[in-house]
Amino acid sequence: MTANRRRHPMLTKRRTAAGVSMVGVALLLAAACSGGGTKSTTTGASGPANRAANVNASGSPTKGGTLKLIGNADVDHLDTAAAYYTTTSTLMRSFTRQLFAYPASTNTTTANTPAADVATQVPTKSNGGISSDGKTYTIHIRQGVKWDTSPARQVTASDFVLGFKRLCNPTQNSVGAPGYYEGVIAGMDTYCKGFAKVPATVGAFKSYINGNQISGIQATDASTLKFTLVKPAGDFLNILALTFSSAAPTEYLNYLPDSADFRQHTVSDGPYSIAKYVPNQSYMLDRNPAWSQSADPIRHQYPDHIQVTLGPDENGVQQQIQAGTQDLQWDTTVPTTDVPKLKSTNDARLGIYPNFDTNPFLTFNMQSPNNGGALKKVAVRQAIAYAIDKVALGQIYGGPTLNTPLNQVVPPGNVGYQKYSMYQTPGNRGDAAKCKTMLKDAGYPNGLTLKDVYRTSGKHPAVYQSVQADLAKCGITVKGTPSAASDYYGKYLSDPTAARSGVWDISEPGWVPDWFGNNARAIIEPLFDGRNYGPGSTNWGDYNNAAVNADIDKALAADTPAAAAPYVHSADLQIMKDAAFVPFQTQSTPLFRSTRVHNAIESPFTAAYDITQVWLNPSS
Amino acid sequence: MSTTELFESAEVPTIDTSGTLGRSPWQLAWARLRRDRVALVCGAFIVLLGLVAAFAGPLSKLIGWSPTQQDRINGLTPDGLPAPPSVHHLLGTDNLGRDVLVRVIYGTRVSLAVGVAAAVAAVLIGVIVGLIAGYFGPAVDAIVSRLMDVVLSFPFLLFAIALVSVVGPSELVEIGVIAFFSWAAVGRIVRGQTLSIREKEYIEAARSLGASDRRIMFVDVLPNLVAPVLVYTTLLIPVSIVFEATLSYLGVGIIPPTPSWGNMISDAQDVYQQAWWFLLFPGIALIATTLAFNLLGDSVRDALDPRTERLFAK
Repeated sequence: MTANRRRHPMLTKRRTAAGVSMVGVALLLAAACSGGGTKSTTTGASGPANRAANVNASGSPTKGGTLKLIGNADVDHLDTAAAYYTTTSTLMRSFTRQLFAYPASTNTTTANTPAADVATQVPTKSNGGISSDGKTYTIHIRQGVKWDTSPARQVTASDFVLGFKRLCNPTQNSVGAPGYYEGVIAGMDTYCKGFAKVPATVGAFKSYINGNQISGIQATDASTLKFTLVKPAGDFLNILALTFSSAAPTEYLNYLPDSADFRQHTVSDGPYSIAKYVPNQSYMLDRNPAWSQSADPIRHQYPDHIQVTLGPDENGVQQQIQAGTQDLQWDTTVPTTDVPKLKSTNDARLGIYPNFDTNPFLTFNMQSPNNGGALKKVAVRQAIAYAIDKVALGQIYGGPTLNTPLNQVVPPGNVGYQKYSMYQTPGNRGDAAKCKTMLKDAGYPNGLTLKDVYRTSGKHPAVYQSVQADLAKCGITVKGTPSAASDYYGKYLSDPTAARSGVWDISEPGWVPDWFGNNARAIIEPLFDGRNYGPGSTNWGDYNNAAVNADIDKALAADTPAAAAPYVHSADLQIMKDAAFVPFQTQSTPLFRSTRVHNAIESPFTAAYDITQVWLNPSS
Repeated sequence: MSTTELFESAEVPTIDTSGTLGRSPWQLAWARLRRDRVALVCGAFIVLLGLVAAFAGPLSKLIGWSPTQQDRINGLTPDGLPAPPSVHHLLGTDNLGRDVLVRVIYGTRVSLAVGVAAAVAAVLIGVIVGLIAGYFGPAVDAIVSRLMDVVLSFPFLLFAIALVSVVGPSELVEIGVIAFFSWAAVGRIVRGQTLSIREKEYIEAARSLGASDRRIMFVDVLPNLVAPVLVYTTLLIPVSIVFEATLSYLGVGIIPPTPSWGNMISDAQDVYQQAWWFLLFPGIALIATTLAFNLLGDSVRDALDPRTERLFAK
């Protein structure tokens, strides 16, 4: 099979979509439910939406012990400048800090709203932290936040400036989502353009970084940072809460970003430090003596050590945690086929948490010349929207326990979510007759023949075959074009030439937003802003609607999540009206913990338990 | 030991020719094969497989499911797990609620078609190239033999996967890939045989009578190669079937939803702990088929070449 035996490969990467983002302003603004003036943020009818159910909060927090994580593969990067996988974020939580961070909470809205971390408070217009035009942010650094250098050293505003300066370094280990910074922070473009020409040596990097400034990021004194934006961005705190936006100590200038040497010399300002790292095998984290609880409102330091063991696949991981020899999953989830049994026995160690994603969905190549350009017609796409059996697609991913049918663009848990359904079929089971009638009315009484490019790994072949069976009932012949997962975006979905030549008509990618809550920049904008179409774009179908584009601009500029929500919803409605894609479902992640793990709080941002909250039963 | 026994088992010409008079080597081989019970059973099984493959359509109608029909009501649990063997689905269902029995039946078609076609193609190429290498003397031999060495030294699977991912999978590509990796072995055997045959007196006689190279190769040399080639073909078919299953298992063979034993086994590996039937039945089909072809191949070899030692004395 493929190398990737993880059940939810998409969860392990932050962005489901493109391998490399270039263009992309790819931030999703997920609005926390609270924000948008929308309804509450529960996942939906089915699935245990109760995020508090499996926390095991009983007893009082106890120090000591070694928290043992086990999983399959190593991090993508160990350098905050480049680390992009959700699993990496889990680890980063313990040894890096940002100005703002997502607090551990069983309340979805709280968990998806950035809170002050190294910053002393959340800036607003009313407290003067944000200028009245929304373009200047003034942020103060919390005292007592220290690097584990010897002697321990206060984290300063300049450390954060350095963090941003290292992002667009001209190596393979640069920021995976430059669009969140370039085009948002003033001067970032110019700075990065200059950096691109610098030869990749430690000396050259050091002199460029020390000799050049990003005009929009200034350390006005040791504890004050001033950000100037190109245009107002209501989600700027979400951007600052990404691990990319972490502080970096000056010691990092002595290494090429994320080089093997760098990885052996990480410096921590979090509760734990990496004491030993054997690439692709293991991590051992010890308490960071420079860290103090009073200077960290987000994290804790209960276990003495955190150990990560790499190697086994999801089945091996599951067996070890069930046996109690390991405590938490690293990068795998409970095998979906194991979930029904664990659930039926009410195993308290099983927790099921909503992903707030839209995954997978059907995307249309609206530029395809096949069938006389049929997919350009709204009516044809609408007909197809009626044909899909979303329950059957859910069964591929473990059924209603882990999946909820989705009928709109914005999934629950994100700003602008309002439940509605434009192409409702009985029980979400699909309506072949309706599809057939609509297709006939659209001028295709003899059906269509569509090319479906699908990945040969994981659940993707099953998804393609399910769609194929649904469309067959509507008179549409679907021909499969298998693709290696590594070719999928580069050779097919994100290649405009391939799209225009009709190499594919439909496909089933998915999307996991980079953050949740206020995230128009991380869902609607990357997927449906027609102005960004080009090589590497994640607007795979080349959808372009001026009304949607205008709504996106307004949502991004809105001061608050509540102000952004109506624009996001309006764009959502228009996109669905145009049937620009067919959403299938939003998924949940099944996690497992050992009996001795207490205070297991799932973080939506990492789709895993927050290792800085856990304490271990002392008698274990 | 009585004389009759001696006559039956030994290949020496005898004076008393009443018993074996007029029997060609082929008749002898056939007689030996008919006495071989293993060969008969395997042959019958393969004929049955052929019939199943040929009548897959009517059979599936009789069973009541098409190979791509997804029974989402009785064929899957709400959690998406396959349904066990029952009256609805005699051998249970797969991960999309499709009937395992019908898919195994249709899988026979793919396995036999690809397996036989690839083996035949490989043998054709191998025979022609081997004849050329063996017949035309050292210069040609050196070049062609090195070519065969190169092909034989290719990393089989890696190359197959790379090729398929560039060209895009289809049944023809699959047959081509398998044949490409199999012909060289046949070529070597044929070359070796040709080398020795071309020195025989009757070849010299033919040449002195003015026969063309082509005539000598195909009329005088080739018939003498039929026996080893036939044996090798029989043994190459199961190898090709396994190769087909491997490629499909890796997702670079038969494009789903067309069933092949390989892609069924591949789909089954995620749920085999909950749905043993999904892995077991295509697995049995694959093993039984390759075993049958292999045993038959051995028997054919024994029958055609009585000098090889028999594993079980008759």
